[in-house]
Amino acid sequence: MCGSIFIASQLICKKPNRTGANSLPGVLRPPQANARIRARIKTPRFGPDMPLSRLLKAIEESCSHLASSVHIRLKLMAEGELKDMEQFFDDLSDSFTGTEPEVHKTSVVGLFLRHMILAYNKLSFSQVYKLYTALQQYFQNDEKKNGIDESDMELTNTEELEGKMEKEELDVPLREEEISCSGPLSQKQAEYFLSQQASLLKNDETKALTPASLQKELNNLLKFNPDFAEAHYLSYLNSLRVQDVFSSTHSLLHYFDRLILTGAESKSNGDEGYGRSLRYAALNLAALHCRFGHYQQAELALQEAIRIAQESNDHVCLQHCLSWLYILEQKIFDSCVLLEHSVNKSLHFGLPYLASLGIQSLVQQRAFAGKAANKLMDALKDSDLLHWKHSLSELIDISIAQKTAIWRLYGRSTMALQQAQTLLSMNSLEAVNVGVQQNNTESFAVVLCHLAELHAEQGYFAAASEILKHLKERFPPNSQHAQLWMLFDQKIQFERAMNDGRYHIADSLVAGITALNSIEGIYRKAIVLKAQNQMSEAHKLLQKLLIHCQKIKNTEMVISVLLSIAELYWRSSCHTIALPVLLQALALSREYSLQYLASETVLNLAFSQLILGIPEQALNILHTAIEPVLAHGAVLDKGCAMFLVAKCQVASAASYAPQKKIEALESAILNLNEAKTYFAKVDSKEQLRDVLYFQARLFHALGKTHERNKCAMLFRQLHQELPAHGVPLINAFK
Amino acid sequence: ELQEQVLQFCLLAGTAGCFLIPSTAEDARDLDAYTLAKSYFDLKEYDRAAYFLRGCKSQKAYFLYMYSRYLSGEKKKDDETVDSLGPLEKGQVKNEALRELRVELSKKHKARELDGFGLYLYGVVLRKLDLVKEAIDVFVEAAHVLPLHWGAWLELCNLITDKEMLKFLSLPDTWMKEFFLAHIYTELQLIEEALQKYQSLIDAGFSKSTYIISQIAVAYHNIRDIDKALSIFNELRKQDPYRIENMDTFSNLLYVRSMKPELSYLAHNLCEIDKYRVETCCVIGNYYSLRSQHEKAALYFQRALKLNPRYLGAWTLMGHEYMEMKNTSAAIQAYRHAIEVNKRDYRAWYGLGQTYEILKMPFYCLYYYRRAHQLRPNDSRMLVALGECYEKLNQLVEAKKCYWRAYAVGDVEKMALVKLAKLHEQLNESEQAAQCYIKYIQDIYSCGEIVEHLEVSTAFRYLAQYYFKCKLWDEASACAQKCCAFNDTREEGKALLRQILQLRNQGETSSTDIPYVTPVCHSVCGSDRYFGFQ
Repeated sequence: MCGSIFIASQLICKKPNRTGANSLPGVLRPPQANARIRARIKTPRFGPDMPLSRLLKAIEESCSHLASSVHIRLKLMAEGELKDMEQFFDDLSDSFTGTEPEVHKTSVVGLFLRHMILAYNKLSFSQVYKLYTALQQYFQNDEKKNGIDESDMELTNTEELEGKMEKEELDVPLREEEISCSGPLSQKQAEYFLSQQASLLKNDETKALTPASLQKELNNLLKFNPDFAEAHYLSYLNSLRVQDVFSSTHSLLHYFDRLILTGAESKSNGDEGYGRSLRYAALNLAALHCRFGHYQQAELALQEAIRIAQESNDHVCLQHCLSWLYILEQKIFDSCVLLEHSVNKSLHFGLPYLASLGIQSLVQQRAFAGKAANKLMDALKDSDLLHWKHSLSELIDISIAQKTAIWRLYGRSTMALQQAQTLLSMNSLEAVNVGVQQNNTESFAVVLCHLAELHAEQGYFAAASEILKHLKERFPPNSQHAQLWMLFDQKIQFERAMNDGRYHIADSLVAGITALNSIEGIYRKAIVLKAQNQMSEAHKLLQKLLIHCQKIKNTEMVISVLLSIAELYWRSSCHTIALPVLLQALALSREYSLQYLASETVLNLAFSQLILGIPEQALNILHTAIEPVLAHGAVLDKGCAMFLVAKCQVASAASYAPQKKIEALESAILNLNEAKTYFAKVDSKEQLRDVLYFQARLFHALGKTHERNKCAMLFRQLHQELPAHGVPLINAFK
Repeated sequence: ELQEQVLQFCLLAGTAGCFLIPSTAEDARDLDAYTLAKSYFDLKEYDRAAYFLRGCKSQKAYFLYMYSRYLSGEKKKDDETVDSLGPLEKGQVKNEALRELRVELSKKHKARELDGFGLYLYGVVLRKLDLVKEAIDVFVEAAHVLPLHWGAWLELCNLITDKEMLKFLSLPDTWMKEFFLAHIYTELQLIEEALQKYQSLIDAGFSKSTYIISQIAVAYHNIRDIDKALSIFNELRKQDPYRIENMDTFSNLLYVRSMKPELSYLAHNLCEIDKYRVETCCVIGNYYSLRSQHEKAALYFQRALKLNPRYLGAWTLMGHEYMEMKNTSAAIQAYRHAIEVNKRDYRAWYGLGQTYEILKMPFYCLYYYRRAHQLRPNDSRMLVALGECYEKLNQLVEAKKCYWRAYAVGDVEKMALVKLAKLHEQLNESEQAAQCYIKYIQDIYSCGEIVEHLEVSTAFRYLAQYYFKCKLWDEASACAQKCCAFNDTREEGKALLRQILQLRNQGETSSTDIPYVTPVCHSVCGSDRYFGFQ
């Protein structure tokens, strides 16, 4: 088949000149049409052979009368004799001669033609004959297909048709193998196929072939060409997709066994190429074990890689090993030293990729360790400069995703939102090169997950679920980064269930969350218990979690847990015990500059003070916290904060002079209105009811009967809808 | 493939012989065409044979017709590989006749018009098309219709991969089945069962069959009972002096035993009979290897592979040769080829492991040794190799397990116990170490070989010191005396003896005031009875 496609392409290259010279003297082809044809021909040459009709169609699209002449030429050759084809090749070489050659020798077409003529001249007689029969078959297959379409009506040749039917019937069980064996690909075609699939796997997994069919293709390829080592590597990547330890190890080792051979053959200085692949073989094995969570095995393999690399003084390989070592050590304990060392060394050896990857890991670690934000951002900015310089688009993506995450950590949702949008609307650099957008990298998953959560926080649940739906499409459930969105999805559902007071649903989600992230799961479990008024169980769980998180230095979770414990205390009316816990949380969150958690702590603190009878003090500290909450907080938190402010205002107004008191109450009513709009956004009926009740009381106090009645009516409506347990009113802040 | 064709050829010649007396009217009618075609067939003019048989109706003529077409396709395929349009098409060349044959044969098969030979051919065609399941069914049917056709049985043998599959076959109950079972047991490494079958066949009257004798020898070779296998092969050579089949196995045995003159004689002899046989090349390769002329050995193995690219043993042996020449990359290539031909070739997996071990990649080679171990769970060599790797990786617990298991399954090289003992020594588990050394010495002496074993002296030295520490003077001095028998430990042994004497004298005078330290281990107290028989 390969031969026939060459012929066809030769014809195309040949044809325009011929027609231009002989039959259509005046009409010269516009040069851009030629370019278009060439561009089109390139595709079939890299892909598997396409049937003639498709080829002709492709030509026709760029130049209509060329197609018919190609067809005629092919028909002449295929229906004629061997000599016709030989004649064709003889004529071909003529086009270079003469005073005004039709094709210039060094042009693209010329080079291609000369290449083909050379290849043709090398063929032996039987090979020429084979080429000819292949061409004939290629042509006839197409004719036959057309023929079947036409001869459906024609029933003269019934006998033959019967025979054909029978044959086809029998062929049915063969079909499947036939299809899989369809690919006698040439070296170039196979390489193209592999590189295309590999880049799809890396960048956009959903567009690649499914694991099963890809494996089938690969097996087929290997059957025809067992020495094609790269296919083994792709098969390794493919097995990784389906989490198959066994066959991925097998393929990886097979690949390196093969590679060692080629390395030894191709390099004249023997040992260099060969030893190199040995080192990387061990390193890749370590990566594989790491991917599957066999950390001990990975470490052993890594040690081996390091040892071999050290023996042969391969610093580049050693740097890679060092980075991996950091990743492995990270699973056990945090080690900045290793990483700093790695960054320094990689810069020294001119490995920008490793260096900035190291910087990014370092930034991440420092962010958790509560280092100053400005320094971290500076570091990221500097590494960004590096990325743009070396156009490392993948790292740019990671950097932006990291910024999103860091802003989220600090509680600046607006900034996080902005960064996330930046990444999504940025055109990847690779898009220019390959035409494949990097779509399924981890950074995209991270950013999209944050985006979903941010939207959910603002009460745009439809938008959030839309984003999650998109994530589901982009990262199918069994792909590598799918766990990320699974966790976020369940978290969002959990929050909603909690808001709506459907605790049983929240409880059922806990199991799923625990499977993906055990700490988060336990925390959520405690929250559910707390909401179901099982205080002592919740307390026990939270205490345990607190100790664990302190041990692993997960400060964010520590503060959340402290807040929950404080809430447990004030729910049990032990506000005095809650205070020190809250102060501890406040100190921690200020130290680690987790601003949002800090303001939430302040809200809690203010509430405790309100209950303890010092509303003026509460109002004072509320003023510091209300701004960040309104700027970055979730809608629900905003509502709670405003509600709390109103309460404090009312409480502190008790001691005011009557005129001032009225003013204070009216401003409280305004604040309550604001809280009401926030609560309405998330459809939090319970809170709405409380606000309405409170508002009604205030209107009553101010003597505005009409407004009071309106609020009371609304309250009544909501009260009937909701389960009627006692209205806690002032006793709850959340 | 070659063997199969030869067998088939013999069978055909046989049928042709009886065919001269036509048994049915149809046969009589086709007789002329058939004899003409048969002559063409013998001359390997397959297309010509098929042409003259095209109108024949009789079963035998039909078989010859189809078979000629099949062989013609195969021949063309082989020719095609030589001048294909490029290296890429290699492996893409197909026997074009196969699909047509399949269509026609399946039609006949449905109509139940195929005889035993026809079924066999149908099965072969199906197998060539990789339709394994269908092929097995057809071969079983062929065996039922014509149980005396060994070709069908052989094909069946190649398609069955494990014992479970064998269980679910419904085979005809004839004496041929016994041959088949014995053969497949050998293939599946169920040597005990195979030997039993062969013995019963001999008892049933096949005592003179050289085939059975050779199969028994191969079976003994597979379970590494070298002496027995050697004697049987020698017997076989006497009965069938011009035999070439299985002689590669024989040469392997001679190689293992380093019997240079015998191997040289065998090589010369085979070379005289037919030098262009795979087996001959293999024997010569082995011969050169034993003479440490590894380049020449590799050359002969390559020649064997040229004669038959699917000859598995040669790939592995070539790998070994490259290993000897320290050409690791070529060795890896050879072993990989061997695995490609047969995934269950444990020697190739083991060889790959060894190669990587030489390259100082103990973790990397673990995988290969594990594969080898999976294929031969009861072979101590893989276990010892695994143990060594674990030891290098400092995973002593796993290493101990491996060595212990190696000892438990019957250690061939008798090294597992020493290694285990040394491990215990490293971990300061002196009691277990002593136990292992005792067992080791016991083992060495009980098999009656007075081979110079390096580690025996080490064992005695350790034991002497161990008993000395436990203050078991009698045992200690017995061991120290043994030490004196070896060059490298003689001085130490003597020194220890002196010390013991000294301490003993002291102990006798002051035994009352020095508290006696109870020995750690009582079980070894009577250990001199182990050495008593020497």
